[in-house]
Amino acid sequence: MKTREALGSFSEFIARRFPVEKMNFHYMVEKKEVPTHKMTWGYYTGGLTLFFFLVQVVTGLLLLFYYQPTVSDAFLSVQYISEHVSCGALIRNMHAWSSSCMIFFAIVHLLTTFAMKAFANPREITWITGVLLLFITFTFGFTGYLLPWNQIAVNATKVGLQSIEEAGAYLPGALAELPRILRETFQGEASVGQSTLGRFYALHVVLLPLALALVLGVHLFSVQLHGMSQGVDLEARKSERFFPIFFSKDLGVWAVAFLALFVLALCLPFESFLPYPLLEPYNPLGSTPAGIKPEWYFFFVYYPLEMLPFWVIMLAMTVLSVGLFLVPWIFKGTTRKTLSFIAVAAAIYLVVMTVFGEQIYHLVKQ
Amino acid sequence: MMYRINRIDWTEAGSVWRSLSTGTSHSAPERARRPVSMPDLRIVLIAAGCIAASTIEPALSYPEFQTFSEKSGRTTNCAMCHTNADGPVGERKGQIGKLNEEELARLNKARTALQPGENVDSPILNDFGNYIIKTVGKQKVLEARKNPEMLVEALGPKHDLDDDGIPDAREFKDGTDPLNKFHGDAFALFTHNLSRYRGDVILAVLAVMLVVFGLINLIKALETLTRKTESTE
Repeated sequence: MKTREALGSFSEFIARRFPVEKMNFHYMVEKKEVPTHKMTWGYYTGGLTLFFFLVQVVTGLLLLFYYQPTVSDAFLSVQYISEHVSCGALIRNMHAWSSSCMIFFAIVHLLTTFAMKAFANPREITWITGVLLLFITFTFGFTGYLLPWNQIAVNATKVGLQSIEEAGAYLPGALAELPRILRETFQGEASVGQSTLGRFYALHVVLLPLALALVLGVHLFSVQLHGMSQGVDLEARKSERFFPIFFSKDLGVWAVAFLALFVLALCLPFESFLPYPLLEPYNPLGSTPAGIKPEWYFFFVYYPLEMLPFWVIMLAMTVLSVGLFLVPWIFKGTTRKTLSFIAVAAAIYLVVMTVFGEQIYHLVKQ
Repeated sequence: MMYRINRIDWTEAGSVWRSLSTGTSHSAPERARRPVSMPDLRIVLIAAGCIAASTIEPALSYPEFQTFSEKSGRTTNCAMCHTNADGPVGERKGQIGKLNEEELARLNKARTALQPGENVDSPILNDFGNYIIKTVGKQKVLEARKNPEMLVEALGPKHDLDDDGIPDAREFKDGTDPLNKFHGDAFALFTHNLSRYRGDVILAVLAVMLVVFGLINLIKALETLTRKTESTE
Protein backbone atom coordinates (compact mmCIF):
# COMPACT_ATOMS: atom_id res chain seq x y z
CA MET A 1 0.00 0.00 0.00
CA LYS A 2 2.79 2.31 0.99
CA THR A 3 4.63 1.57 -2.25
CA ARG A 4 1.53 2.42 -4.26
CA GLU A 5 1.11 5.68 -2.35
CA ALA A 6 4.75 6.56 -2.91
CA LEU A 7 4.49 5.78 -6.61
CA GLY A 8 1.32 7.82 -6.80
CA SER A 9 2.84 10.88 -5.18
CA PHE A 10 5.96 10.51 -7.36
CA SER A 11 3.90 10.39 -10.55
CA GLU A 12 1.91 13.39 -9.30
CA PHE A 13 5.20 15.21 -8.65
CA ILE A 14 6.39 14.47 -12.20
CA ALA A 15 3.02 15.36 -13.73
CA ARG A 16 3.08 18.76 -12.04
CA ARG A 17 6.63 19.42 -13.26
CA PHE A 18 5.84 18.30 -16.80
CA PRO A 19 2.22 19.34 -17.45
CA VAL A 20 1.19 17.81 -20.76
CA GLU A 21 -1.34 20.55 -21.49
CA LYS A 22 1.44 23.13 -21.60
CA MET A 23 3.63 21.16 -23.97
CA ASN A 24 2.95 23.11 -27.12
CA PHE A 25 4.64 25.85 -29.14
CA HIS A 26 2.01 28.42 -28.25
CA TYR A 27 2.50 28.04 -24.50
CA MET A 28 6.24 27.42 -24.47
CA VAL A 29 7.28 30.13 -26.94
CA GLU A 30 4.55 32.49 -28.06
CA LYS A 31 2.88 33.02 -24.71
CA LYS A 32 6.06 33.06 -22.68
CA GLU A 33 6.81 36.35 -20.89
CA VAL A 34 10.02 37.55 -19.27
CA PRO A 35 9.61 39.83 -16.21
CA THR A 36 11.50 43.13 -16.30
CA HIS A 37 13.13 44.16 -13.02
CA LYS A 38 16.51 44.91 -11.46
CA MET A 39 17.59 41.26 -11.75
CA THR A 40 16.60 40.80 -15.40
CA TRP A 41 20.29 40.46 -16.34
CA GLY A 42 20.24 37.16 -14.47
CA TYR A 43 18.01 35.68 -17.19
CA TYR A 44 20.82 36.06 -19.73
CA THR A 45 23.42 34.04 -17.80
CA GLY A 46 21.90 30.67 -18.71
CA GLY A 47 21.84 31.63 -22.38
CA LEU A 48 25.47 32.69 -22.21
CA THR A 49 26.45 29.35 -20.68
CA LEU A 50 24.62 27.62 -23.51
CA PHE A 51 26.35 29.84 -26.05
CA PHE A 52 29.83 28.98 -24.76
CA PHE A 53 28.88 25.31 -24.75
CA LEU A 54 27.93 25.58 -28.42
CA VAL A 55 31.30 27.24 -29.12
CA GLN A 56 32.93 24.33 -27.30
CA VAL A 57 31.11 21.85 -29.52
CA VAL A 58 32.02 23.59 -32.78
CA THR A 59 35.68 24.28 -31.91
CA GLY A 60 36.03 20.83 -30.32
CA LEU A 61 34.79 19.17 -33.51
CA LEU A 62 37.33 21.14 -35.53
CA LEU A 63 40.14 20.16 -33.16
CA LEU A 64 39.15 16.50 -33.55
CA PHE A 65 40.37 16.59 -37.14
CA TYR A 66 43.98 16.97 -36.00
CA TYR A 67 44.25 15.89 -32.37
CA GLN A 68 45.89 12.49 -31.76
CA PRO A 69 44.96 10.85 -28.43
CA THR A 70 48.21 8.94 -27.92
CA VAL A 71 50.96 9.70 -25.44
CA SER A 72 53.51 9.85 -28.22
CA ASP A 73 51.55 12.19 -30.48
CA ALA A 74 49.13 14.15 -28.31
CA PHE A 75 51.55 16.97 -27.49
CA LEU A 76 52.91 17.09 -31.04
CA SER A 77 49.44 17.20 -32.55
CA VAL A 78 48.48 20.09 -30.28
CA GLN A 79 51.69 21.86 -31.26
CA TYR A 80 50.93 21.15 -34.91
CA ILE A 81 47.44 22.62 -34.53
CA SER A 82 48.85 25.78 -32.96
CA GLU A 83 51.72 26.31 -35.37
CA HIS A 84 50.82 24.82 -38.73
CA VAL A 85 47.06 24.42 -39.13
CA SER A 86 45.32 27.37 -40.70
CA CYS A 87 43.52 29.26 -37.88
CA GLY A 88 44.50 26.35 -35.60
CA ALA A 89 45.81 28.59 -32.84
CA LEU A 90 42.63 30.68 -32.98
CA ILE A 91 40.35 27.63 -32.81
CA ARG A 92 42.34 26.04 -30.00
CA ASN A 93 42.41 29.31 -28.11
CA MET A 94 38.66 29.77 -28.59
CA HIS A 95 38.15 26.26 -27.21
CA ALA A 96 40.31 27.01 -24.18
CA TRP A 97 38.83 30.45 -23.47
CA SER A 98 35.23 29.35 -24.05
CA SER A 99 35.65 26.43 -21.65
CA SER A 100 36.62 28.88 -18.93
CA CYS A 101 33.82 31.26 -19.92
CA MET A 102 31.32 28.38 -19.89
CA ILE A 103 32.30 27.41 -16.36
CA PHE A 104 32.33 31.04 -15.23
CA PHE A 105 28.81 31.67 -16.53
CA ALA A 106 27.55 28.31 -15.25
CA ILE A 107 28.62 29.38 -11.75
CA VAL A 108 27.15 32.87 -12.17
CA HIS A 109 23.92 31.28 -13.47
CA LEU A 110 23.77 28.97 -10.47
CA LEU A 111 24.26 31.85 -8.03
CA THR A 112 21.73 34.15 -9.72
CA THR A 113 19.04 31.47 -9.98
CA PHE A 114 19.68 30.68 -6.33
CA ALA A 115 19.39 34.34 -5.33
CA MET A 116 16.23 34.74 -7.45
CA LYS A 117 14.71 31.59 -5.91
CA ALA A 118 14.23 30.16 -9.38
CA PHE A 119 14.41 26.66 -7.92
CA ALA A 120 11.06 26.92 -6.13
CA ASN A 121 8.08 24.74 -6.98
CA PRO A 122 7.47 23.73 -9.83
CA ARG A 123 11.08 24.26 -10.99
CA GLU A 124 12.83 21.67 -8.83
CA ILE A 125 13.76 19.50 -11.82
CA THR A 126 15.13 22.53 -13.66
CA TRP A 127 17.39 23.17 -10.66
CA ILE A 128 18.49 19.55 -10.27
CA THR A 129 19.33 19.22 -13.98
CA GLY A 130 21.20 22.54 -13.71
CA VAL A 131 23.34 21.22 -10.85
CA LEU A 132 23.98 18.05 -12.85
CA LEU A 133 25.05 20.19 -15.79
CA LEU A 134 27.48 22.06 -13.55
CA PHE A 135 29.09 18.81 -12.40
CA ILE A 136 29.29 17.55 -15.99
CA THR A 137 30.93 20.85 -16.97
CA PHE A 138 33.54 20.48 -14.23
CA THR A 139 34.23 16.93 -15.42
CA PHE A 140 34.64 18.31 -18.94
CA GLY A 141 37.28 20.68 -17.57
CA PHE A 142 39.09 17.92 -15.67
CA THR A 143 39.17 15.49 -18.61
CA GLY A 144 40.08 18.15 -21.16
CA TYR A 145 43.00 19.39 -19.08
CA LEU A 146 44.92 16.15 -19.68
CA LEU A 147 44.56 16.07 -23.45
CA PRO A 148 47.49 18.38 -24.44
CA TRP A 149 49.77 15.94 -22.58
CA ASN A 150 52.15 18.58 -21.30
CA GLN A 151 53.80 18.78 -17.89
CA ILE A 152 50.98 20.60 -16.13
CA ALA A 153 48.30 18.44 -17.78
CA VAL A 154 49.69 15.09 -16.70
CA ASN A 155 50.97 16.12 -13.29
CA ALA A 156 47.77 17.96 -12.35
CA THR A 157 45.73 14.92 -13.42
CA LYS A 158 47.93 12.69 -11.28
CA VAL A 159 47.26 14.94 -8.27
CA GLY A 160 43.53 14.97 -9.05
CA LEU A 161 43.30 11.19 -9.34
CA GLN A 162 45.39 10.75 -6.21
CA SER A 163 42.96 12.97 -4.30
CA ILE A 164 40.08 10.70 -5.37
CA GLU A 165 41.86 7.67 -3.91
CA GLU A 166 42.72 9.47 -0.69
CA ALA A 167 39.02 9.86 0.01
CA GLY A 168 38.84 6.10 0.60
CA ALA A 169 40.67 6.42 3.93
CA TYR A 170 37.73 8.35 5.37
CA LEU A 171 34.93 6.13 4.16
CA PRO A 172 33.46 3.29 6.22
CA GLY A 173 33.43 -0.43 5.35
CA ALA A 174 33.09 -1.52 1.75
CA LEU A 175 32.72 2.11 0.66
CA ALA A 176 36.41 2.63 1.43
CA GLU A 177 37.28 0.69 -1.70
CA LEU A 178 35.06 2.78 -3.96
CA PRO A 179 37.48 5.71 -4.55
CA ARG A 180 40.31 3.30 -5.39
CA ILE A 181 38.07 1.48 -7.90
CA LEU A 182 37.03 4.84 -9.35
CA ARG A 183 40.62 5.95 -9.70
CA GLU A 184 41.67 2.69 -11.33
CA THR A 185 38.71 2.89 -13.70
CA PHE A 186 39.63 6.40 -14.80
CA GLN A 187 43.36 5.79 -14.81
CA GLY A 188 43.28 2.40 -16.53
CA GLU A 189 46.84 1.45 -15.60
CA ALA A 190 49.39 1.73 -12.82
CA SER A 191 50.22 5.36 -13.54
CA VAL A 192 48.74 8.07 -15.74
CA GLY A 193 49.53 6.82 -19.25
CA GLN A 194 48.03 5.79 -22.56
CA SER A 195 45.00 4.10 -21.01
CA THR A 196 44.26 7.21 -18.98
CA LEU A 197 44.57 9.44 -22.02
CA GLY A 198 42.31 7.14 -24.03
CA ARG A 199 39.69 7.05 -21.30
CA PHE A 200 39.77 10.78 -20.67
CA TYR A 201 39.52 11.37 -24.40
CA ALA A 202 36.50 9.04 -24.69
CA LEU A 203 34.87 10.79 -21.75
CA HIS A 204 35.65 14.25 -23.09
CA VAL A 205 34.50 13.81 -26.66
CA VAL A 206 31.79 11.14 -26.47
CA LEU A 207 30.32 10.25 -23.09
CA LEU A 208 30.22 13.67 -21.45
CA PRO A 209 28.80 15.47 -24.52
CA LEU A 210 26.07 12.81 -24.75
CA ALA A 211 25.28 13.11 -21.05
CA LEU A 212 25.33 16.89 -21.26
CA ALA A 213 23.07 16.96 -24.33
CA LEU A 214 20.56 14.72 -22.59
CA VAL A 215 20.47 16.67 -19.33
CA LEU A 216 20.57 19.99 -21.17
CA GLY A 217 17.56 18.90 -23.20
CA VAL A 218 15.53 18.25 -20.04
CA HIS A 219 16.80 21.51 -18.49
CA LEU A 220 15.88 23.71 -21.46
CA PHE A 221 12.55 21.95 -21.96
CA SER A 222 11.75 22.54 -18.32
CA VAL A 223 12.75 26.22 -18.56
CA GLN A 224 10.48 26.76 -21.55
CA LEU A 225 7.65 24.81 -19.94
CA HIS A 226 7.57 26.78 -16.70
CA GLY A 227 8.72 30.09 -18.10
CA MET A 228 11.02 32.51 -16.33
CA SER A 229 10.69 32.63 -12.57
CA GLN A 230 9.41 35.76 -10.91
CA GLY A 231 12.93 36.54 -9.72
CA VAL A 232 12.07 39.24 -7.17
CA ASP A 233 9.74 39.43 -4.17
CA LEU A 234 7.43 42.07 -5.58
CA GLU A 235 5.90 40.91 -8.83
CA ALA A 236 7.38 42.85 -11.75
CA ARG A 237 5.10 45.52 -13.18
CA LYS A 238 6.46 45.13 -16.64
CA SER A 239 7.35 42.14 -18.74
CA GLU A 240 8.43 41.49 -22.31
CA ARG A 241 7.55 38.73 -24.70
CA PHE A 242 10.08 35.94 -24.90
CA PHE A 243 9.64 35.68 -28.65
CA PRO A 244 10.74 37.80 -30.43
CA ILE A 245 11.86 40.53 -27.97
CA PHE A 246 13.86 38.66 -25.32
CA PHE A 247 15.09 36.16 -27.89
CA SER A 248 16.44 39.00 -30.08
CA LYS A 249 18.12 40.61 -27.08
CA ASP A 250 19.62 37.26 -26.16
CA LEU A 251 21.03 37.01 -29.69
CA GLY A 252 22.58 40.47 -29.26
CA VAL A 253 24.21 39.37 -26.02
CA TRP A 254 25.53 36.25 -27.76
CA ALA A 255 26.98 38.42 -30.50
CA VAL A 256 28.83 40.57 -27.98
CA ALA A 257 30.05 37.43 -26.20
CA PHE A 258 31.26 35.99 -29.49
CA LEU A 259 33.18 39.14 -30.35
CA ALA A 260 34.76 39.29 -26.90
CA LEU A 261 35.75 35.63 -27.22
CA PHE A 262 37.09 36.15 -30.73
CA VAL A 263 39.26 39.11 -29.72
CA LEU A 264 40.47 37.31 -26.62
CA ALA A 265 41.33 34.13 -28.56
CA LEU A 266 43.00 36.06 -31.35
CA CYS A 267 45.08 38.35 -29.15
CA LEU A 268 45.74 36.53 -25.91
CA PRO A 269 46.96 32.92 -25.93
CA PHE A 270 45.35 31.11 -23.03
CA GLU A 271 48.64 29.47 -22.06
CA SER A 272 50.53 32.75 -21.73
CA PHE A 273 49.54 32.83 -18.06
CA LEU A 274 51.43 29.65 -17.26
CA PRO A 275 55.19 29.34 -16.74
CA TYR A 276 56.56 27.83 -19.94
CA PRO A 277 58.28 24.80 -18.34
CA LEU A 278 54.77 23.60 -17.52
CA LEU A 279 53.88 23.68 -21.19
CA GLU A 280 56.72 21.40 -22.23
CA PRO A 281 55.86 17.84 -23.28
CA TYR A 282 55.36 15.51 -20.35
CA ASN A 283 58.55 13.69 -19.42
CA PRO A 284 57.83 10.51 -17.42
CA LEU A 285 61.49 10.23 -16.39
CA GLY A 286 61.84 13.84 -15.25
CA SER A 287 61.02 15.35 -11.90
CA THR A 288 57.70 17.11 -11.35
CA PRO A 289 58.19 20.78 -12.19
CA ALA A 290 57.25 23.48 -9.71
CA GLY A 291 53.95 25.31 -9.98
CA ILE A 292 51.65 22.38 -10.83
CA LYS A 293 48.06 23.30 -10.03
CA PRO A 294 44.62 22.66 -11.47
CA GLU A 295 42.62 25.02 -13.67
CA TRP A 296 41.45 28.25 -11.99
CA TYR A 297 37.90 26.97 -11.52
CA PHE A 298 39.13 24.33 -9.09
CA PHE A 299 41.04 26.83 -6.93
CA PHE A 300 38.06 27.21 -4.57
CA VAL A 301 38.65 23.62 -3.44
CA TYR A 302 42.38 23.26 -4.30
CA TYR A 303 43.79 25.95 -1.98
CA PRO A 304 41.65 24.95 1.02
CA LEU A 305 42.82 21.39 0.33
CA GLU A 306 46.42 22.59 0.59
CA MET A 307 45.75 24.40 3.87
CA LEU A 308 43.27 22.21 5.74
CA PRO A 309 43.09 18.49 6.56
CA PHE A 310 41.78 16.38 3.70
CA TRP A 311 38.80 15.08 5.65
CA VAL A 312 37.54 18.62 6.32
CA ILE A 313 37.46 19.43 2.62
CA MET A 314 35.98 16.05 1.75
CA LEU A 315 33.21 16.50 4.27
CA ALA A 316 32.55 20.06 3.11
CA MET A 317 32.43 19.04 -0.54
CA THR A 318 30.11 16.13 0.18
CA VAL A 319 27.75 18.35 2.16
CA LEU A 320 27.92 21.02 -0.54
CA SER A 321 27.27 18.56 -3.39
CA VAL A 322 24.32 16.86 -1.66
CA GLY A 323 23.09 20.24 -0.43
CA LEU A 324 23.09 21.67 -3.94
CA PHE A 325 20.73 18.95 -5.14
CA LEU A 326 18.46 19.48 -2.15
CA VAL A 327 18.34 23.27 -2.41
CA PRO A 328 14.65 23.39 -3.52
CA TRP A 329 13.63 21.62 -0.29
CA ILE A 330 16.23 23.07 2.11
CA PHE A 331 15.49 26.69 1.14
CA LYS A 332 11.78 26.23 0.45
CA GLY A 333 10.70 28.85 2.97
CA THR A 334 13.73 31.15 2.78
CA THR A 335 13.24 34.72 1.61
CA ARG A 336 14.96 36.04 -1.51
CA LYS A 337 16.82 38.55 0.65
CA THR A 338 18.45 35.76 2.66
CA LEU A 339 19.14 33.78 -0.50
CA SER A 340 20.79 36.84 -2.09
CA PHE A 341 22.96 37.25 0.99
CA ILE A 342 24.08 33.60 0.80
CA ALA A 343 24.74 33.91 -2.96
CA VAL A 344 26.82 37.08 -2.47
CA ALA A 345 28.81 35.41 0.33
CA ALA A 346 29.46 32.39 -1.90
CA ALA A 347 30.48 34.65 -4.78
CA ILE A 348 32.91 36.56 -2.53
CA TYR A 349 34.43 33.29 -1.34
CA LEU A 350 34.84 32.04 -4.92
CA VAL A 351 36.42 35.29 -6.13
CA VAL A 352 38.77 35.60 -3.15
CA MET A 353 39.89 31.96 -3.36
CA THR A 354 40.36 32.11 -7.12
CA VAL A 355 42.20 35.42 -7.26
CA PHE A 356 44.05 35.48 -3.95
CA GLY A 357 44.14 31.76 -3.11
CA GLU A 358 47.86 31.46 -3.67
CA GLN A 359 48.71 34.49 -1.52
CA ILE A 360 46.43 33.23 1.25
CA TYR A 361 48.09 29.83 1.03
CA HIS A 362 51.58 31.36 1.40
CA LEU A 363 50.40 33.53 4.29
CA VAL A 364 48.95 30.54 6.12
CA LYS A 365 52.02 28.39 5.47
CA GLN A 366 54.33 31.07 6.87
CA MET B 1 66.30 20.39 -11.04
CA MET B 2 69.10 22.81 -11.90
CA TYR B 3 72.71 22.16 -12.66
CA ARG B 4 74.89 22.08 -9.65
CA ILE B 5 78.18 21.31 -11.44
CA ASN B 6 80.19 24.44 -11.11
CA ARG B 7 83.65 24.07 -12.51
CA ILE B 8 84.70 20.80 -14.11
CA ASP B 9 82.20 19.08 -16.27
CA TRP B 10 83.09 15.39 -16.33
CA THR B 11 80.54 14.61 -19.01
CA GLU B 12 82.37 17.05 -21.19
CA ALA B 13 85.63 15.34 -20.32
CA GLY B 14 83.99 12.11 -21.36
CA SER B 15 82.90 13.49 -24.69
CA VAL B 16 86.37 14.87 -25.36
CA TRP B 17 87.73 11.43 -24.53
CA ARG B 18 85.34 9.84 -26.98
CA SER B 19 86.18 12.24 -29.75
CA LEU B 20 89.88 11.68 -29.15
CA SER B 21 89.76 7.91 -28.98
CA THR B 22 87.29 6.47 -31.45
CA GLY B 23 85.43 9.26 -33.09
CA THR B 24 82.17 7.53 -32.32
CA SER B 25 79.90 7.87 -29.33
CA HIS B 26 78.99 4.92 -27.15
CA SER B 27 76.31 4.50 -24.60
CA ALA B 28 77.33 3.80 -21.01
CA PRO B 29 76.48 0.06 -21.17
CA GLU B 30 78.43 -0.28 -24.41
CA ARG B 31 81.44 1.35 -22.83
CA ALA B 32 81.14 -0.93 -19.84
CA ARG B 33 81.16 -4.00 -22.07
CA ARG B 34 84.23 -3.01 -24.07
CA PRO B 35 87.45 -4.83 -23.02
CA VAL B 36 90.22 -2.71 -21.62
CA SER B 37 92.81 -3.43 -24.22
CA MET B 38 95.15 -0.50 -23.84
CA PRO B 39 94.94 0.80 -20.27
CA ASP B 40 97.90 3.15 -20.70
CA LEU B 41 96.33 4.86 -23.65
CA ARG B 42 93.08 5.26 -21.74
CA ILE B 43 94.82 6.92 -18.84
CA VAL B 44 96.57 9.27 -21.23
CA LEU B 45 93.33 10.06 -23.00
CA ILE B 46 91.42 10.64 -19.76
CA ALA B 47 94.18 12.91 -18.57
CA ALA B 48 94.06 14.75 -21.89
CA GLY B 49 90.32 15.06 -21.52
CA CYS B 50 90.66 16.50 -18.03
CA ILE B 51 93.23 18.99 -19.21
CA ALA B 52 90.98 19.95 -22.11
CA ALA B 53 88.03 20.31 -19.77
CA SER B 54 89.92 22.58 -17.42
CA THR B 55 91.33 24.79 -20.14
CA ILE B 56 88.21 25.16 -22.27
CA GLU B 57 85.40 27.13 -20.61
CA PRO B 58 83.09 24.48 -19.20
CA ALA B 59 79.65 24.09 -20.76
CA LEU B 60 77.15 24.87 -18.08
CA SER B 61 73.73 26.34 -17.77
CA TYR B 62 73.96 29.37 -15.58
CA PRO B 63 71.52 29.25 -12.67
CA GLU B 64 72.10 32.96 -11.97
CA PHE B 65 70.17 33.84 -15.14
CA GLN B 66 67.41 31.40 -14.23
CA THR B 67 67.12 32.89 -10.73
CA PHE B 68 66.97 36.35 -12.26
CA SER B 69 64.11 35.36 -14.58
CA GLU B 70 62.24 33.65 -11.77
CA LYS B 71 62.08 36.95 -9.88
CA SER B 72 59.28 37.78 -12.32
CA GLY B 73 57.17 35.21 -10.48
CA ARG B 74 57.34 32.63 -13.26
CA THR B 75 59.08 29.30 -13.10
CA THR B 76 61.75 28.99 -15.76
CA ASN B 77 64.24 26.30 -16.65
CA CYS B 78 67.35 25.74 -18.76
CA ALA B 79 65.17 25.59 -21.89
CA MET B 80 65.23 29.36 -22.05
CA CYS B 81 68.72 29.18 -23.60
CA HIS B 82 69.54 25.50 -23.97
CA THR B 83 68.38 22.88 -26.44
CA ASN B 84 67.58 20.44 -23.67
CA ALA B 85 65.25 21.62 -20.90
CA ASP B 86 67.49 19.88 -18.37
CA GLY B 87 70.56 21.83 -19.48
CA PRO B 88 73.69 20.87 -21.38
CA VAL B 89 75.03 18.16 -19.07
CA GLY B 90 73.90 14.63 -19.79
CA GLU B 91 73.52 12.00 -22.43
CA ARG B 92 70.21 13.01 -23.92
CA LYS B 93 69.30 14.96 -27.05
CA GLY B 94 70.89 18.40 -27.05
CA GLN B 95 73.26 17.48 -24.25
CA ILE B 96 77.03 17.19 -24.43
CA GLY B 97 77.17 13.45 -23.95
CA LYS B 98 75.10 12.93 -27.08
CA LEU B 99 77.06 15.19 -29.44
CA ASN B 100 78.89 13.85 -32.47
CA GLU B 101 82.19 15.17 -33.78
CA GLU B 102 80.71 17.83 -36.00
CA GLU B 103 78.52 19.08 -33.15
CA LEU B 104 81.47 19.10 -30.78
CA ALA B 105 83.33 21.24 -33.27
CA ARG B 106 80.44 23.70 -33.37
CA LEU B 107 80.31 23.66 -29.58
CA ASN B 108 84.00 24.46 -29.30
CA LYS B 109 83.67 27.25 -31.85
CA ALA B 110 80.84 28.76 -29.82
CA ARG B 111 82.91 28.55 -26.66
CA THR B 112 85.67 30.58 -28.19
CA ALA B 113 83.28 33.31 -29.36
CA LEU B 114 84.28 35.63 -26.57
CA GLN B 115 83.51 38.80 -28.46
CA PRO B 116 80.15 39.79 -30.02
CA GLY B 117 79.45 39.45 -33.72
CA GLU B 118 80.67 35.92 -34.32
CA ASN B 119 78.25 33.61 -36.10
CA VAL B 120 77.78 30.82 -33.56
CA ASP B 121 75.62 27.73 -33.82
CA SER B 122 76.18 25.77 -30.62
CA PRO B 123 74.29 22.45 -30.58
CA ILE B 124 73.65 22.70 -26.85
CA LEU B 125 72.05 26.13 -27.18
CA ASN B 126 68.71 27.01 -28.73
CA ASP B 127 68.18 30.01 -31.00
CA PHE B 128 67.93 32.38 -28.05
CA GLY B 129 71.12 31.02 -26.45
CA ASN B 130 73.01 31.33 -29.71
CA TYR B 131 71.59 34.79 -30.24
CA ILE B 132 72.88 35.88 -26.83
CA ILE B 133 76.40 34.64 -27.62
CA LYS B 134 76.28 36.22 -31.05
CA THR B 135 75.02 39.57 -29.76
CA VAL B 136 76.99 40.07 -26.58
CA GLY B 137 79.78 37.50 -26.80
CA LYS B 138 80.67 34.76 -24.34
CA GLN B 139 82.87 37.13 -22.32
CA LYS B 140 79.95 39.40 -21.50
CA VAL B 141 77.71 36.44 -20.66
CA LEU B 142 80.24 35.33 -18.07
CA GLU B 143 80.50 38.83 -16.66
CA ALA B 144 76.71 39.13 -16.54
CA ARG B 145 76.43 36.16 -14.21
CA LYS B 146 77.09 38.50 -11.30
CA ASN B 147 74.53 40.97 -12.56
CA PRO B 148 72.02 39.38 -14.97
CA GLU B 149 70.28 42.75 -15.40
CA MET B 150 73.32 43.66 -17.49
CA LEU B 151 72.34 41.04 -20.05
CA VAL B 152 68.91 42.65 -20.45
CA GLU B 153 70.57 45.95 -21.31
CA ALA B 154 73.14 44.29 -23.58
CA LEU B 155 70.50 42.43 -25.60
CA GLY B 156 68.68 45.65 -26.34
CA PRO B 157 65.02 46.35 -26.96
CA LYS B 158 64.82 45.58 -30.69
CA HIS B 159 65.34 41.90 -31.33
CA ASP B 160 62.35 39.56 -31.18
CA LEU B 161 63.07 35.97 -32.22
CA ASP B 162 59.52 34.63 -31.95
CA ASP B 163 57.93 37.74 -33.46
CA ASP B 164 55.35 38.04 -30.70
CA GLY B 165 55.91 41.75 -30.25
CA ILE B 166 57.81 41.38 -27.00
CA PRO B 167 61.59 41.96 -27.28
CA ASP B 168 63.77 39.00 -26.32
CA ALA B 169 65.43 41.03 -23.57
CA ARG B 170 62.06 41.62 -21.93
CA GLU B 171 61.08 37.97 -22.29
CA PHE B 172 64.31 37.06 -20.51
CA LYS B 173 63.48 39.54 -17.75
CA ASP B 174 59.83 38.40 -17.51
CA GLY B 175 60.76 34.72 -17.44
CA THR B 176 58.69 33.99 -20.54
CA ASP B 177 59.65 31.86 -23.53
CA PRO B 178 61.52 34.00 -26.10
CA LEU B 179 61.02 31.32 -28.77
CA ASN B 180 57.28 30.79 -28.41
CA LYS B 181 55.00 33.39 -29.94
CA PHE B 182 52.14 32.17 -27.76
CA HIS B 183 54.03 32.85 -24.57
CA GLY B 184 54.80 36.21 -23.04
CA ASP B 185 53.52 38.90 -20.72
CA ALA B 186 49.73 38.68 -21.12
CA PHE B 187 49.06 42.42 -21.39
CA ALA B 188 51.94 43.03 -23.81
CA LEU B 189 50.85 40.11 -25.99
CA PHE B 190 47.25 41.30 -26.00
CA THR B 191 48.04 44.89 -27.00
CA HIS B 192 50.53 43.81 -29.64
CA ASN B 193 48.20 41.23 -31.19
CA LEU B 194 45.25 43.60 -31.05
CA SER B 195 47.23 46.11 -33.03
CA ARG B 196 48.48 43.41 -35.42
CA TYR B 197 45.02 41.94 -36.07
CA ARG B 198 42.96 45.13 -35.87
CA GLY B 199 41.84 44.67 -39.49
CA ASP B 200 40.54 41.17 -38.72
CA VAL B 201 38.82 42.42 -35.58
CA ILE B 202 37.07 45.21 -37.48
CA LEU B 203 35.92 42.74 -40.14
CA ALA B 204 34.69 40.33 -37.47
CA VAL B 205 32.72 43.12 -35.75
CA LEU B 206 31.11 44.09 -39.06
CA ALA B 207 30.32 40.48 -39.95
CA VAL B 208 28.77 39.72 -36.57
CA MET B 209 26.73 42.95 -36.64
CA LEU B 210 25.37 42.07 -40.07
CA VAL B 211 24.53 38.51 -39.07
CA VAL B 212 22.75 39.64 -35.90
CA PHE B 213 20.89 42.37 -37.81
CA GLY B 214 19.77 39.80 -40.36
CA LEU B 215 18.75 37.25 -37.74
CA ILE B 216 16.79 39.74 -35.65
CA ASN B 217 14.89 40.92 -38.70
CA LEU B 218 14.25 37.33 -39.75
CA ILE B 219 12.81 36.62 -36.29
CA LYS B 220 10.62 39.73 -36.51
CA ALA B 221 9.41 38.68 -39.95
CA LEU B 222 8.59 35.20 -38.68
CA GLU B 223 6.67 36.68 -35.78
CA THR B 224 4.72 39.03 -38.06
CA LEU B 225 3.89 36.16 -40.42
CA THR B 226 2.66 34.01 -37.53
CA ARG B 227 0.42 36.82 -36.31
CA LYS B 228 -1.00 37.40 -39.78
CA THR B 229 -1.77 33.71 -40.18
CA GLU B 230 -3.48 33.67 -36.76
CA SER B 231 -5.61 36.73 -37.56
CA THR B 232 -6.63 35.25 -40.96
CA GLU B 233 -7.70 32.02 -39.27
